Amino acid sequence: MSLKAYIITRVILAIPMMLILLSLIFFILRIIPGDPVKAILGGKAPIEVIERKRHELGLDKPIPIQFVEYLGKLIKGDMGKSTLTGRPVWDELMERFPATVELTLFGFTIAVLIGVFWGAEAARKKDKTMDVSARVFAMLMYAIPIFWLGLMFQFLFGMVLRWFPVGGRISAAVSLKPITGLYILDSLIQGNWTALKDVLWHLVLPGTTLGLVISSIFLRMVRNNTVLMLSQDFVRAAKARGIKEKVVLYRHALKNAFVPILTMMGLQLALLLAGAVLTETTFSWPGLGSYLIMKIRYRDFPAIQGTVVFFAFIVVVISILVDIINALVDPRVRY
Amino acid sequence: MRKFLVLLIVALALMVFAKDFIVVGTTDKIRSLDPARCYDYFSSNILQNVMVGLVDYKLGTSILKPMLAESWDVLDGGKTYVFHLRKDAVFEDGTPIDAHVFKYSFDRVIKLNGDPAFLLSDVVEKTEVVDDYTFKVTLKYPFSAFVSVLGYTVAYPVNPKIYPENEFYEGIPSASGPYRVKEWIRDVRIVLEENPKFFGEKPKTKVIIINFYESAATLRLALETGEIDVAYRHLDPRDIIDLKGREDIVVYEGASPQIRYLVINVTQKPFDDKRVRKAIAYAVDRKRIIEDVFVGLAKPLYSLIPEGMWGHKNVFPERDLEKARELLKEAGYDENHPLTIDLWYTPTHYGTTEADVAQILKESLEETGVIKVTIKYAEWSTYIDYFLEGAMGLFLLGWYPDYLDPDDYVWPFLSESGAKSLGSFYSNKFVEELMIKARGFTGQSARIPFYEKVQEILAEDVPYIPLWQGVATCAAKKSVKGILLEPTQIFRYYILYKE
Repeated sequence: MSLKAYIITRVILAIPMMLILLSLIFFILRIIPGDPVKAILGGKAPIEVIERKRHELGLDKPIPIQFVEYLGKLIKGDMGKSTLTGRPVWDELMERFPATVELTLFGFTIAVLIGVFWGAEAARKKDKTMDVSARVFAMLMYAIPIFWLGLMFQFLFGMVLRWFPVGGRISAAVSLKPITGLYILDSLIQGNWTALKDVLWHLVLPGTTLGLVISSIFLRMVRNNTVLMLSQDFVRAAKARGIKEKVVLYRHALKNAFVPILTMMGLQLALLLAGAVLTETTFSWPGLGSYLIMKIRYRDFPAIQGTVVFFAFIVVVISILVDIINALVDPRVRY
Repeated sequence: MRKFLVLLIVALALMVFAKDFIVVGTTDKIRSLDPARCYDYFSSNILQNVMVGLVDYKLGTSILKPMLAESWDVLDGGKTYVFHLRKDAVFEDGTPIDAHVFKYSFDRVIKLNGDPAFLLSDVVEKTEVVDDYTFKVTLKYPFSAFVSVLGYTVAYPVNPKIYPENEFYEGIPSASGPYRVKEWIRDVRIVLEENPKFFGEKPKTKVIIINFYESAATLRLALETGEIDVAYRHLDPRDIIDLKGREDIVVYEGASPQIRYLVINVTQKPFDDKRVRKAIAYAVDRKRIIEDVFVGLAKPLYSLIPEGMWGHKNVFPERDLEKARELLKEAGYDENHPLTIDLWYTPTHYGTTEADVAQILKESLEETGVIKVTIKYAEWSTYIDYFLEGAMGLFLLGWYPDYLDPDDYVWPFLSESGAKSLGSFYSNKFVEELMIKARGFTGQSARIPFYEKVQEILAEDVPYIPLWQGVATCAAKKSVKGILLEPTQIFRYYILYKE
């Protein structure tokens, strides 16, 4: 099968996958106790008011009918309105998503830099200080709860040293007109250097926290795969030909070790784009993770459904992209 | 995509901020700035600073005063209210706030039937424009607390040019109060600036920036590092105590209209036995909850009408384990045949302290030696389902009033429909009649005897056990002045200033 045919198949297969996921969420939400009207008005408004509002939202209709109606709208691109705020779910997602993208890309870059370079060097100097320290670091970072690391960073760099702000995306006194919602990009477009500096300054702590924790996964995988590759015949042959060690490491061993690493990185990136819940909460980062948590608490059915569909879409897109990159990196990969 | 590109091209210039601004931090969220939909604390808080209603409260008190209404007449034995409006009030775009605007706004609330609509739709029969500046409301029945309802955001007039008639409006409100909204990035920040068209007192600080945080821990750090000037809602009680020890920060405490209580489902065994309910009321240890959990930042409560509100009467007894044991013995329980019950709480809706409260309640009931308590919990939306279905027998709940009147502390609890919506399923026709009679009198002194009687019956029947009333707290930099934690819970930004 050609790559093109493969991608088309994947896209077609993604549709039933998303449909299954959506129906699971849709039905489970409605079967478990609690609904959006009660979560907002329960314990407050008279029971007749609650019943009247449930009727208005169609929550008293049979679930399969609700599902068909929802699907009908979704196909037309209408995700419905949040029951909590009354705003279109799509608008709310698009407000939150840029924050998550910014945090993810920042954290991911740090994680990749640490993971790839330290991992490769650790493999080259197996069992030396570089390697042992990498293993200890990776183990530690993997074991530390991310919110705890975040709290410690807030305390040390925010409270004691006062180098970085403890939360949020931008300082109160700094003004920036959101255009894309990606604040770095927005400040560049507007040539607002004060805002750019401030936004980057706010990104450091949450981005680093996320990056360090994710780097532990990359670091271990890069190291182990590279160690394996370095013991292969083609590496020995390359070394025997007198090729520089660094070149052997990065051009030959690492490149060949990269296929499984790329797949894993892609999945990790997709997960992060679905919101790094704990990091976002710790640093008051208004991204998708904290959005979903809030919506679940209030049983905001349309918002939860919309978010899940959106996540599924991201995962599909990224996994297809990863497959394409894999095919480009390793010509042996055929679908 | 095209929209995106257009936005991209229309890169807007930097906004210039005045130097005098105050930054407030909160963990609350704004849900909606449409008075027809707004029914949560922080949305109301913003509206109370950018809009005004027919009436307002005198600063620092829960006494009503005229605002957009210069005066009003109560006719037909309390069924008709005629408001004489002031003529100089306008929205920020210059639209006059007249009787037509009021009719539009009230009718719109009822028609759209948003979350708070029942506060008006349950009592309002019809609205009429008598002349440009005279507005008449006819009620379905005499309701003396009606003017208090008008103090809530649901009754604020909205600009007909901005707020559409047939749907909710989710944009930036058209201001009629001391501030206008300059910028609003949801869940990130909202910027308020002076509204030059406001007829009343000018704000002491021209710009107020409110930053939204996700966790109490970050909110505290933001105050300590100076990122914000004021931390309002919700710092943890322990953080408040820590902050009290700092020289550069001042902690403010004020009255809060919030009450917390146990609900008892009077139809469920063994709680259908009045003696059991009374025994529990004798055994609960309010003082320990306040000292151990709230480190003193709460006040014990012995009635549903909170202390400080007119009509309040202490009707529940002090702790008396002997009395509790006696009552339980009468009901057929002793050490060998203990009373086994479940106590429910919900872990996040009322903050992080709820599990500790439940634990102390369990211990205080078990001190009788006759009660065995199992603690159970459910997440808020599940919790609501359980109590509406009558599945829980004894559980913790809390109440924020919608309007400051004793009526809102008894009617939602003790009327048959109210008790059903709070899961106690209490029903007492005599109590209901007393409350309806009290609604028919306009003077406080005439209503007080009715509320006293209602509270006495409450303590006799025990469908609820009042536990404590909250203390509102706020922490701010020493340089910020003018912070006033009002009994109405209205947090007024326009009286804040920096030294």
